[in-house]
Amino acid sequence: MDETILEIKDLNMVFSSGKSKVHAVDNVSFRIKQGETVGIVGESGCGKTTLGRCIVLAYKATSGQVLYHAADGKKYNIQAISKQKLRSIRKEIQMIFQDPYSSLDPRMTVFDIISEPLRANYKKIPKNEMEYRVQDVAKKVGLNPSYLKRYPHAFSGGQRQRIGIARALILYPRVIICDEPVSALDVSVQSQVINLLMDLQKNMNLTYLFISHDLSVVEHISDQVGVMYLGQIVEYASTDLLFHNPCHPYTEALLSAIPLADPDTPMDHIPLKGEIPNPSNLPSGCFFHTRCPYCQERCIRERTSLIRLDDGRLVSCHFAGKLPLHGIQAKVPR
Amino acid sequence: MTSNAKTVLDIKNLNIDIHLEEGVLTPVRGVNLELQENETLGLVGESGCGKSLTCKAILGINSQNCKTTGQIFYTGKNGERKDLQRMPYGGKAIRAIRGKEISMIFQEPMSAFSPLFTVGHQLQEIVLLHVTKDKRAAKDLIIKSMNRVGIANPEKRYQQYPHEFSGGMLQRALICMGLACSPRILIADEPTTALDVTIQAQILDLLSELQRTSGMSILYITHDLGTVAQLCDRVAVMYLGKIVETASVQEIFHNPIHPYTIGLMGSIHKIGGTKDRLFSIKGSVPLAMNLKNRCSFYDRCIYRKTNPCNGPEPGLTPVTENHYAACYLPQTSLKEVN
Ligand SMILES: Nc1ncnc2c1ncn2[C@@H]1O[C@H](COP(=O)(O)OP(=O)(O)OP(=O)(O)O)[C@@H](O)[C@H]1O
Ligand SMILES: Nc1ncnc2c1ncn2[C@@H]1O[C@H](COP(=O)(O)OP(=O)(O)OP(=O)(O)O)[C@@H](O)[C@H]1O
Ligand code: SF4
Ligand SMILES: [Mg+2]
Ligand SMILES: [Mg+2]
Repeated sequence: MDETILEIKDLNMVFSSGKSKVHAVDNVSFRIKQGETVGIVGESGCGKTTLGRCIVLAYKATSGQVLYHAADGKKYNIQAISKQKLRSIRKEIQMIFQDPYSSLDPRMTVFDIISEPLRANYKKIPKNEMEYRVQDVAKKVGLNPSYLKRYPHAFSGGQRQRIGIARALILYPRVIICDEPVSALDVSVQSQVINLLMDLQKNMNLTYLFISHDLSVVEHISDQVGVMYLGQIVEYASTDLLFHNPCHPYTEALLSAIPLADPDTPMDHIPLKGEIPNPSNLPSGCFFHTRCPYCQERCIRERTSLIRLDDGRLVSCHFAGKLPLHGIQAKVPR
Repeated sequence: MTSNAKTVLDIKNLNIDIHLEEGVLTPVRGVNLELQENETLGLVGESGCGKSLTCKAILGINSQNCKTTGQIFYTGKNGERKDLQRMPYGGKAIRAIRGKEISMIFQEPMSAFSPLFTVGHQLQEIVLLHVTKDKRAAKDLIIKSMNRVGIANPEKRYQQYPHEFSGGMLQRALICMGLACSPRILIADEPTTALDVTIQAQILDLLSELQRTSGMSILYITHDLGTVAQLCDRVAVMYLGKIVETASVQEIFHNPIHPYTIGLMGSIHKIGGTKDRLFSIKGSVPLAMNLKNRCSFYDRCIYRKTNPCNGPEPGLTPVTENHYAACYLPQTSLKEVN
């Protein structure tokens, strides 16, 4: 299947508080195919969560479109849709949150937490139907049915994240925005949750937008990867291309800084000078020029925009395709 | 670990009990740990296994409801060996060592600084307490130290408040605070978890560089195996309040022998590896309360045999040279887990 399910077009989100403005999502465009996983990586504060929230309409974007190809075969712009239509479409796009510790209401039982979206969306859902659905998703995510009567504080991080996933699945969505679903978990638990997400994807033909700052997790789970810097997508490519043959200097620097879990391949990272610029006071020219090791005169003056290279990827750099950049294979002995 | 290396820290049978309403929690259960001069020792293990409590016990800064027993020998510059555990809580003796000879970088940079004073002022306090009574000299020393950790514009930064620093900057200021008195031992408790990979890489470089030039020892606590592989000489793996395996970093990564370590190594997603299911350790860590007297990993172990594993809890014993594990069935034949 090669059908597009989501198209993000020229999306902008500006937060303003008093005099200062933060351009958290800056002209972002990309598309996601059904059944695929798109990873989004980037430094803290670069706008990953804001992007995800605009897609589920938790935020009304300042401008731009989020086109969704719904199950009914029609195309809707989620950012400008009638309230009525939104109700039915929202069920198809769900979100899993970053922090399994604070995102679950401690006063509700696990059953109530998982079934809440059902109750909110179907006022008159029969009780046995609700029980059937909760049991069904609990089974899918590997939660023991006897846990359903308990409260979330009695659960470990991995189990809580399973509860969060079950809740996101209860409406049988087609797209799930996963916002750092494993970042708060230990490695051994991370792998349980990642396996689960991949199994569910296969069995339910789910599409994921997978937000994370852990590049090795993103590499494992994603088909396409978008790299964000200061609200912009600076590179968007298939996972293999991006990791082995990056075309944006920021992607190269990120890859070089991954601490490999192998004591015999020492890290040889490209030091980035300076600090991440203040998002309410953006640099001139290319946003990355203040830290880029390849910066030229032109980069200081002229804004960049995403251009498509011959291999199909998108890059936002004046010298895209012309710099001798190194990918991850430079470090991993075969 | 060469035989003529000098041991600066020698923890023997450290035990911590915390009395709670539900019963007695024993989050640290007989930890034995040695730190050599100029060595970086990684202490790894899952959340809640007792890493932070162990480190804070060294400095005597756990809350008073933590009943601590065992010995913590520290060997000073003059070769004198003292048991830190016998120094009175909050007393003069331990305060003279804390922050000067042994210092600690905490998990949360924000909480280590008070929002009410400038960063410079807070750094100066420590130097005035331990190094010199001369304010000018103290300031010079701090500016020098800020330069060393890569804080640009130190004169200006000195006057600023913590909230004017970015996360990475503040973490560097914290390292600066930890290093201000040139300690012999630096305890770093997850100093990079809140940081981005590019900043994290800078901090790791900085720590190795400082160690090369000053000869200090580092106890590095984390659950990120990538940074351990990059930074540490030796690794101690902790599970449920006990050290279950310790060896050189190469041995731990290429020849893990305790089933828990093998599981941890197998769970790492390797870039460029297969896209199949990841290995995962089944179940979750039990609570350190009312534990049965048997191997603490028994419930989750895929190699276990009722006899002997269900017997008394195995202790840390040498399996091969300089490689210790607390397991009845050490998996020495396994070459490498992928
Ligand atoms: N509700 C809001 N009001 C004002 N500013 C906001 C709001 N939400 C986010 N921001 C700002 O927008 C920028 C992007 O934030 P966002 O949370 O999307 O980043 P992120 O990439 O998810 O970061 P992290 O990795 O830390 O989760 C930041 O500068 C943040 O301070
Ligand atoms: N003062 C306290 N009172 C009660 N329980 C405590 C106290 N301090 C720690 N604990 C418990 O002791 C256990 C070990 O805590 P510790 O902070 O040492 O874990 P850790 O290994 O550092 O974990 P993390 O990786 O999450 O930082 C945890 O289960 C914790 O909840
Ligand atoms: S002692 Fe037995 S149960 Fe414990 S880790 Fe070793 S093999 Fe597994
Ligand atoms: Mg976020
Ligand atoms: Mg801790």
